[in-house]
Amino acid sequence: MNPATATGMSFLALVRQSWHVLATIGPGVVFIVIFLVLPSIMLMTVAFMTNGPYGLPEMPFTLQAFRELAGFGFLGWSPGNLYTLWRSIWQTAIATSLVILIAYPIAYYISTRPAHMQPLLLLIVIVPSWTNQVIRAFAWMNILAPGSAVTNAAYNLGFLSEYMGLFPSTFAVVLGLVYNFLPFMVLPLYASFQNLDHRLIQAARDLYATPVKAFFQAVFPQTLPGLMAGTVLVSIPAFGMYVIPDLLGGGKSSMIGNLVARQFSDASNWPLGGAAAMIMILATLLGLLVLRRVGRRAGGGREVVL
Amino acid sequence: MKRRINGFQLGLRAFWYLTLAFLYIPLAYVVAFSFNSANSYVRFPELSLRWYERMFGNTALMNAFYNSVTLALTSAVIATLIGAILGYGMYKYRHLKLGWLIWFIYLPIVMPDIVYGISQMTFFVTVHDLTGMLKPGLTTMIIAHVSFQVPFVALLVYSQLVRMDPLLFEATQDLYASPLQRAWFFILPAISASLISSFFLSITLSIDDFVISFFTSGPDSTTLPIFIWSAIKRGVTPEVNAISALMIFAVFSAGLIIYIFQRVRPPKDPTNQ
Repeated sequence: MNPATATGMSFLALVRQSWHVLATIGPGVVFIVIFLVLPSIMLMTVAFMTNGPYGLPEMPFTLQAFRELAGFGFLGWSPGNLYTLWRSIWQTAIATSLVILIAYPIAYYISTRPAHMQPLLLLIVIVPSWTNQVIRAFAWMNILAPGSAVTNAAYNLGFLSEYMGLFPSTFAVVLGLVYNFLPFMVLPLYASFQNLDHRLIQAARDLYATPVKAFFQAVFPQTLPGLMAGTVLVSIPAFGMYVIPDLLGGGKSSMIGNLVARQFSDASNWPLGGAAAMIMILATLLGLLVLRRVGRRAGGGREVVL
Repeated sequence: MKRRINGFQLGLRAFWYLTLAFLYIPLAYVVAFSFNSANSYVRFPELSLRWYERMFGNTALMNAFYNSVTLALTSAVIATLIGAILGYGMYKYRHLKLGWLIWFIYLPIVMPDIVYGISQMTFFVTVHDLTGMLKPGLTTMIIAHVSFQVPFVALLVYSQLVRMDPLLFEATQDLYASPLQRAWFFILPAISASLISSFFLSITLSIDDFVISFFTSGPDSTTLPIFIWSAIKRGVTPEVNAISALMIFAVFSAGLIIYIFQRVRPPKDPTNQ
């Protein structure tokens, strides 16, 4: 019996199947809807409300928060928030590019090792990212602190004046982002390399393609789905990073995540925080769209779970 | 195909080891300095266990440890249960038009932590103001953690079910197994490997999380990452190295266990074509 043919089913069977669907898919979906989707919608609603005198959102609905995000405060226009936005974008872009440059050869290297070694090598790359991100940021704080070996080396090479540390700085933030997100790129890229159709490469070589040409014509296009998936998995969370810019960067390298957090703590401006969070949610949804599209293409038109 | 050892291969290998150094040196640094007798990141006069001794004498820290363990275990159990049922439903009814489900799976995975934590914080605070329920504390943290663990569990269980032979399901039906018998004697053993890895992955995700915990926590539900965070913020860090070293050790032990587990029991899958 194929339950897919709902047309031929009796009413009772239909009811029973609906009940089964609800009983299995229901709890998980309801949980996520109540405790994640609903709160996100609430936060977006807050973005359209007025900031009350006690820092709590009030009626009526306005676009005040978005004007503030664009820099129009009651003291006139200042570009601070826009700078933060812009900085989030370009710090993310640099970090993502660096991650790609490191992860691509690493994923390839792992895929060329003997098959029984590959899980271990992947694990070696992933395990550091299982340690708490606060600890990882803290580790870099130690390494980049004034007086450490790395800082002294930077000083001796003339990159740094004396008594300075390499953090807080934009450099430290980007470094932290790369460190944090490297495995997120290695995994999908490795999956692409593993499924590489070597016949295409052989064909390219048989047709006298130079190694460089063979790479761009036969290898690179095949790894594109993995690369796209990795880019989404790295850039979306990196764009919304909070811990790393907070610990490794100062005010001059804070990102949109810090802007949001500030509105819910010291600055007490929930609507502004909500408005900034909305930009992050939109960026996330955009990422989801890309990821689904990539997944569909990789799965030959079917829904696949990456 | 014979591989020639050429400059490219050598360069690639060197790059691999450089990347490993990049990944591991910061963690090794923390572990090394946890044995430092001086309170410094520059000087290292001699080996000592004084920070470990101080750590165990610190009641706030021990309390944070207790909270972390409670949070991780409770949320992992709940998430494995809900997620496994969801994963099974996704598999069983995959022929229905359930493509939209994937949004609920992806959303928690890709949503920025900070938006995640803050939207849940505002939600919990509002609900608490209105009804008196869901006071920020361990309960709200458990809810928050379950919400980001469930999708991973569902994906793991789903992907194991997909790899099985669908004929086996029909066989159990043909043998007149009741739904309960089928669940107990066939489905549960069949997905046990993914249940175990789901449980451990959920624990790892819980321990690894800081941002969402930070925003959904109450004053009495400090976890280890939150404790470390506030210690760094206050500039009091000597014990942080010790507790961080222990957490790093725990994570690597988990990695080792998972690796050994996979080696001893390679994805046993008689139904795999």
